[in-house]
Amino acid sequence: MSTVPISLTDQDPVAMTSNSHRRKRNSRIFYGLCVAIACLSVVVLVVLLASIGFQGHTRIRGDLIKNSHSELNPDQAGMRPAIIGSLAVCAICALAALPLGVGTAVFLEEFQPRSKPMRWLHGFIQLNIANLAGVPSIVYGLLGLTVFVYMFNVFGQIKVNESSGLELFGVQHYYQILSLEPGQTVLVPKTDMTQKTFKVTEPIDGFDAAGNPIKISVWNRKASPKPTDKQALRQTVKLGAIGGSYSKHAWYYFRLPFGKSFVAAGLTLALVILPVIIIASQEALRSVSPSLREASLGMGATTWQTVRNVCLPAAIPGIMTGAILAMGRAIGEAAPVLVVLGAAVAKNSGPQNLMDSVVTMPVLIFNWAGRPQDVYQEISAAAIIVLLAVLLILNSVAIIVRGRMQTR
Amino acid sequence: MPLPAALAKREFRSTTASQLWERCIVGSLALCSLLTILITVGIVLMLVTQSWQFFQSEYVDVKEFFSGSEWTALQAKELENAKFGIWPLLSGTLRVTFIAMGIALPLGLITAIYLSEFASHRIRSILKPTLEVIAGVPTVVLGYFAILAISPALQFLTGGAFDTFNATSAGIAVGILCLPMVCSLSEDAMRAVPDSLREGAYGLGCTPFETAVKVVVPAALSGIVSAFLLAFSRAVGETMVVALAAGTRATATFDPTQQSQTMTGFIVEMIKSENEYGTVQYYSLYAVAITLFVITFGMTLLGQLIRRRFQESYQ
Repeated sequence: MSTVPISLTDQDPVAMTSNSHRRKRNSRIFYGLCVAIACLSVVVLVVLLASIGFQGHTRIRGDLIKNSHSELNPDQAGMRPAIIGSLAVCAICALAALPLGVGTAVFLEEFQPRSKPMRWLHGFIQLNIANLAGVPSIVYGLLGLTVFVYMFNVFGQIKVNESSGLELFGVQHYYQILSLEPGQTVLVPKTDMTQKTFKVTEPIDGFDAAGNPIKISVWNRKASPKPTDKQALRQTVKLGAIGGSYSKHAWYYFRLPFGKSFVAAGLTLALVILPVIIIASQEALRSVSPSLREASLGMGATTWQTVRNVCLPAAIPGIMTGAILAMGRAIGEAAPVLVVLGAAVAKNSGPQNLMDSVVTMPVLIFNWAGRPQDVYQEISAAAIIVLLAVLLILNSVAIIVRGRMQTR
Repeated sequence: MPLPAALAKREFRSTTASQLWERCIVGSLALCSLLTILITVGIVLMLVTQSWQFFQSEYVDVKEFFSGSEWTALQAKELENAKFGIWPLLSGTLRVTFIAMGIALPLGLITAIYLSEFASHRIRSILKPTLEVIAGVPTVVLGYFAILAISPALQFLTGGAFDTFNATSAGIAVGILCLPMVCSLSEDAMRAVPDSLREGAYGLGCTPFETAVKVVVPAALSGIVSAFLLAFSRAVGETMVVALAAGTRATATFDPTQQSQTMTGFIVEMIKSENEYGTVQYYSLYAVAITLFVITFGMTLLGQLIRRRFQESYQ
């Protein structure tokens, strides 16, 4: 009855020792491999930072953050408009993505539905968010291009030097006419938008360059001598002078479609980081202890009161950490901005109004890095160092916030 | 005995109003979350309507789009001569992606095994931040690194067999980019495997290698596979690295030393060329993008489903 298994009776001591030696050796080799490969990632990071630092360290100087991009004089080219542009785009992005993301997370975490179809919808939204996180950012860029920049072409196209689309507010159209004083102009309000130029034939009400209302008089060369008074010269134009179109934009200038504006870019980036913010906020809310929530509900607070007074304050460090990390991603993201705003980098100031185009740091780096000249290679490395420094600052803030959360 | 102040004053707030307010709040939060569905719908709608315009064009043949081996949307001077066959772009994407996966998957998996099974607390505290930093490096920086260091290094090692812009250097950079993602997702999956399984394996006489490879990895397989799929879709959709380092010529070969424009690389190139809205070339953007979207969305969806469906729960 008691047949001993063959492996127990038939033991070859030599084979067994060699077998166990082999297995132990394999294990040691594998351990060595693990250590080597794990070290490899540290090596890669060091090589990456060192090569970029080596390439760019000579260009880290005042010019880089004071000047703007220059085709003619790359030695002095800088990235000031790009830094301002990145900050402006990220501000819009945060304004749009934070409330939406936190709102969605609160809805998904705190308002668990009871009925079956609603629960199904809940799960569907959850799966959808996970999928959105996996959509390539360039597809979001195309979405931004179609929806924000062109708005499916519903409002017509935006062309250079043409008032187009649906201008809602913040813009005034004038004809600009040279006055008799050299270099000075007067403005006549535009009434008919289709008429591009305007010929002065009689005295007309208008504005001077500073925007004060004046009465524009007309000087007929043949009929009267040229006025001598400086004030009068400024307010007088030649008979038959022709003025071209000129538009004054206030900072709150707003139109549909948005065109290649930094608002469009910011909203597009908001779409990109929305899933990241939602997922981070959900995790932060989930880590709030249920006892706090139950205590609040037990006191007679409604669900929303509980969320507002208990859950959100307790989860705010986690949400902030996630949001800051997401902003770091938004600052470094080049593809969607490139698609929405185009690859042009010749801009020498930050945005002047809401519908103004900007350059952002990653797009500038992309442009410079794609040029073969050594000068551009070096300044793009320097620009990368600036970008990494900005990211480092953001991440340190996130780590400090996280540390605070853990000490509480 | 006087009543407490709160009861004496009796300034209670109206419950009807606050209930209404509560309803409004819940409604607006629900709208927020419905917006995420709207985004998906918007993406699909945009891609379908705009690429419909592309396929409607007389210069485009749907059959040629899927089987043609030439893509000259930007190179052709005349629209009549332009060839729209997606295969070169797709093969470029796949070349870069496979090279990237060849780097990211083994390295990421082994690093994850090391982190979850062997690493001491001190090594973890070095390695984890390193991986997080690599994950946080903007992609345009890695693209620059590819043309600054990887491509010259490849040319140096092979004696100039590689083009200046080639699929391999872009693939290596994308691999570096995907490595932290593979690593952290796989590590999460392996850490979720309970210690009792490991202890059982050790008790039966397994070496650490056998425990890791024959017990822990199979137990965490669903998480690892979904990590692989997510990394794959990330690599397919990666843009700035390939736009900088993979070149601008669409080639239909398997030769990794050549230039290879990818789908995302073409989108960037097209945006840089500033074609007018409404031309066939402009709409070809969307035809490429819908191919890209179908691939990545499918991969991500599959990854999510695998993780949910096959997740082993040890209670």
